[in-house]
Amino acid sequence: MATDYLTIARDADELAVGLRGDWLFDNVPSLEANLEDVDFSGNESVVFHCGGLQNIDIAGAWVLFHKSQEIKHQGREIGFRGFKEAHFKFLENITSLEDAPPLTDIRGRASGRLQSMVESVGESTLAGVADVGRIASAIFSGITQPSRIVWRETLSQFEQVAFRATPIVLLVCTLMGLVLAYQGATQLQKFGASIFVVDLVSISIVREMGVLLTAIIVAGRSGSAFAASIGVMNLNEETDALRVMGLNPDHVLVIPRVAALTVALPMLTVLGIMAGLAGGTLLCQLVLDISPSQFVQRAASAVDSADVFAGLIKAPVFALLIAAVSTLRGLQVQSSAAELGRLTTVAVVQSITLIILADGIFTVMFVRYGI
Amino acid sequence: MASEAANDDHIIEVRGLINQFGTNRVHDELDLSVNHGEVMGLIGGSGTGKSVLFRSILGLHRPNAGRITVLGREIQFRRPGPEKDWGVLFQSGALLSGLTVQQNVELPIALHSEMSSASRAELAVLKIRMTGLPVQAAAKYPSELSGGMVKRAALARALALEPKLLFLDEPTSGLDPVAATEFDQLIDYLKRSLDLTVVMITHDLDSVFGICDQIAVLVDRKTVTGPPTEIAQIDHPWIQRYFGDPRAQRAMTASDPHDR
Repeated sequence: MATDYLTIARDADELAVGLRGDWLFDNVPSLEANLEDVDFSGNESVVFHCGGLQNIDIAGAWVLFHKSQEIKHQGREIGFRGFKEAHFKFLENITSLEDAPPLTDIRGRASGRLQSMVESVGESTLAGVADVGRIASAIFSGITQPSRIVWRETLSQFEQVAFRATPIVLLVCTLMGLVLAYQGATQLQKFGASIFVVDLVSISIVREMGVLLTAIIVAGRSGSAFAASIGVMNLNEETDALRVMGLNPDHVLVIPRVAALTVALPMLTVLGIMAGLAGGTLLCQLVLDISPSQFVQRAASAVDSADVFAGLIKAPVFALLIAAVSTLRGLQVQSSAAELGRLTTVAVVQSITLIILADGIFTVMFVRYGI
Repeated sequence: MASEAANDDHIIEVRGLINQFGTNRVHDELDLSVNHGEVMGLIGGSGTGKSVLFRSILGLHRPNAGRITVLGREIQFRRPGPEKDWGVLFQSGALLSGLTVQQNVELPIALHSEMSSASRAELAVLKIRMTGLPVQAAAKYPSELSGGMVKRAALARALALEPKLLFLDEPTSGLDPVAATEFDQLIDYLKRSLDLTVVMITHDLDSVFGICDQIAVLVDRKTVTGPPTEIAQIDHPWIQRYFGDPRAQRAMTASDPHDR
């Protein structure tokens, strides 16, 4: 009997298995299939010999060795004749190490995994609390004792988060003004109350949409940038370099970003509100025949200072949330590129969630105190 | 294919390689040949283009001119080369950080073979143990390993496809002397038992004298090739400074590659 890789000869007390062809890495699937087809169920001893063997490498030798171990475990004699010694010495060395546990053990049993999962939840909660405290103390000490390096970094961060973000904020808020006005117009026209579109647009933009939309854009844009840049610095040991030079990375990296964003977001919000109102004005002119001067007049009477206050007071709070969450997530990047990606995502998602949560709290407070 | 190569025995042939960055020419008509079964060490001062030569041979850098043949195939920038027949150990290991050591070693096997996942896993563990790592290391992530273990794990990945040719970029850098010597011995052992040809960038004088059969010194934009003990005699300022160093003298007397 013979296959592509094997010849089988059976006599009274010995099963002689000859190898032929190339026992190489590429052929491992067929080698295994070939061996599988051989009937090793008898009681005679098995001898492998390299009759027509052309080439053999570690992978091929391993397939053979694996099979031979299997047969050995059934309590039968096995032998090898005329093989490349190097490979078998190798395999024997490796497989004779009895201290190695089987693979299933090192992957951990389910109970062990559950325990370590619970432990890791606890550890990360503690670490999270500690980190929040760390960021808070960094911000506090930055306010009380600002240093020169921090100033320069703050300016460059301000350029990044304020000036570079202006076009996208203007564009998105203008579009939002258009959409709001158009939605309002289609509904209110039915009641002949088109002029109230102005009230709708101006109050919602000034109180709510302007600041919310700007904050969400900034969270996506600058929040991810903060987390990713600080994360990479952590991976490159740049933060460690700062530390051994006597600089606290919490001060040098966190404070400038928090400060820059806290100043930038209110400014961007003002721009966003203006862009949104401009969008509303444009649509009223085009669809409802309300002239820009009428719009301005009506808007000025509809919006009072409390609305402006309610809109703008949120901006620095949102900024603080975005900057604190994303710098914190950046500083948590420890070991790998995968973690960097994960924590950057977490930074943006948590920033946006916190913004909307905070917005809800503001709204409830404003209603209760009649602002 | 054989007729294309100038010499059948040459696993690597580099002819007329020119690499230039701006006005700075790092290689000028550089030639290099590596024979079957030898360990070739690339040495040279910093900025002499060891890494550029290494990356050119691997098709990771586009040379300005020149012809590179590896295992009878011409290497072209970012084109498929003899990926199945060479293994590369990068300086920092370059293990994929999102995968465990075992998954890292399984990755090339999965890409190039149809074998069952059970066989793949066992073969990967075998390779990991071949490099002297404990089995427990297979389930760990690269970030959980020490520098020496990362190098061994990366070597296991480089050996995953039974390569004929192994490239090592400063394999002993960042290892303590004991670990470095062990790593050298491992490479020597694997080279003998697996019939490998090895090309390694190195600064380590112990490696140069311990395991290199040939070294190529990058000086004056070209290579000077020969056995380490012969190269050490060449009258060139940089070579003399390198080999005149007391540490080099110690390494030279401590180990003679031919009586190991």
